[in-house]
Amino acid sequence: MDTQSYFPVQAGVGMEENFLSLDDILLSHERLPVRTECTFPRLGYLEKSSDAHDIAEGSKMELPLWLSKGLYERKRRVLSVELPKVYREGWRTVFNADPNVVDLHKMGPYYYSLGSQMLHFDSPENPDIAGTLLQTFIGRFRRTMDSSQNAYNEDTSALVERLDSLEKGLFRSGQSGLNGFQSWEKGQATQITASSLVLNYRKRKINDLQP
Amino acid sequence: MDPSEVEFLAEKETVKIIPNFSLDKIYLIGGDLGPFNPGLPVDVPVWLALNLKQRQKCRIVPPEWMDVEKLEEMRELERKEDMFTPVPSPYYMELTKLLLNHASDNIPKADDIRTLVKDIWDTRIAKLRLSADSFISQQEAHAKLDNLTLMEINTIRSFLLDSLNCMYKLRSNLQPGSSKGQAMDY
Repeated sequence: MDTQSYFPVQAGVGMEENFLSLDDILLSHERLPVRTECTFPRLGYLEKSSDAHDIAEGSKMELPLWLSKGLYERKRRVLSVELPKVYREGWRTVFNADPNVVDLHKMGPYYYSLGSQMLHFDSPENPDIAGTLLQTFIGRFRRTMDSSQNAYNEDTSALVERLDSLEKGLFRSGQSGLNGFQSWEKGQATQITASSLVLNYRKRKINDLQP
Repeated sequence: MDPSEVEFLAEKETVKIIPNFSLDKIYLIGGDLGPFNPGLPVDVPVWLALNLKQRQKCRIVPPEWMDVEKLEEMRELERKEDMFTPVPSPYYMELTKLLLNHASDNIPKADDIRTLVKDIWDTRIAKLRLSADSFISQQEAHAKLDNLTLMEINTIRSFLLDSLNCMYKLRSNLQPGSSKGQAMDY
């Protein structure tokens, strides 16, 4: 059985993020185009393009997701977040036409998760964005399932490179089911092999030294 | 669940053997195993049958369904039907592997049987994937699974459950306000 020395926390799908998940932490580093709705006094040194003492109202910047989420509040109007290109009207029609063609890894490896986080920012296009995310997932599901269940003992990098990170997780679980079944059928499941933990901790020195 | 665990559960099925030793009735926790007389067939669980076979104390009689013509009929039926057909035994895959690995000398046409069972398995797995795909693409809430064996369910379980989870969460994006206040605990 394949046991790891720690149990990784999975990324939260949808509008919540898991605080402890590494995927979500990397996701929150994605930058979003943002427009300030009020001035930020005495923070002008952060804005390299102008030499002003403070950041004026209405200036456009790129802030990471974690900062935008923290500063965003509808009532106080501190920031307004614009949708990144991939979630706008033009790309949405492409996704609705044929989800399988798009290289989701190039579009930002966290397409689904970032899209779900964008729904926090109360844009008028929210229902369309959510609908497109769902339809894209459903459209690409078939291909992910077929490729994960049929690629045994092959180099899967060509299949995986166009997948978003959520789909990569699904691909991995499909592969593990397939590998488990195939190794059982070959009879490898009953062979006793040294656990990967023991090999990692290098407790087998005597065996290695003996000729 | 591991395939080895499913195999362990499969070893509880009974199979007929012909012992070459004699022993009185033995009383085990799971039930009684009848008196063993050389040359007379007796029903035992598969784990005991394999153990006795490995110690060369018995001969295993193949189960009724493990016959070339019957399996060919089942394969044709499986290919014609869209739904899942009733299986020869709820653990056909595991029993085939165990019996053909340890007792292939007692089973006529072992290679043909192996090929036929693999064909039946492949057809059923293909149907399972088709129905999983239509399940997701039509966003159904529940599906009916007749005549599926534990091994088949086991190979697709983790993938299907993870993707249904993702689909559920993406779907709950469409209703804002209903997803606030959910907590994850570890």
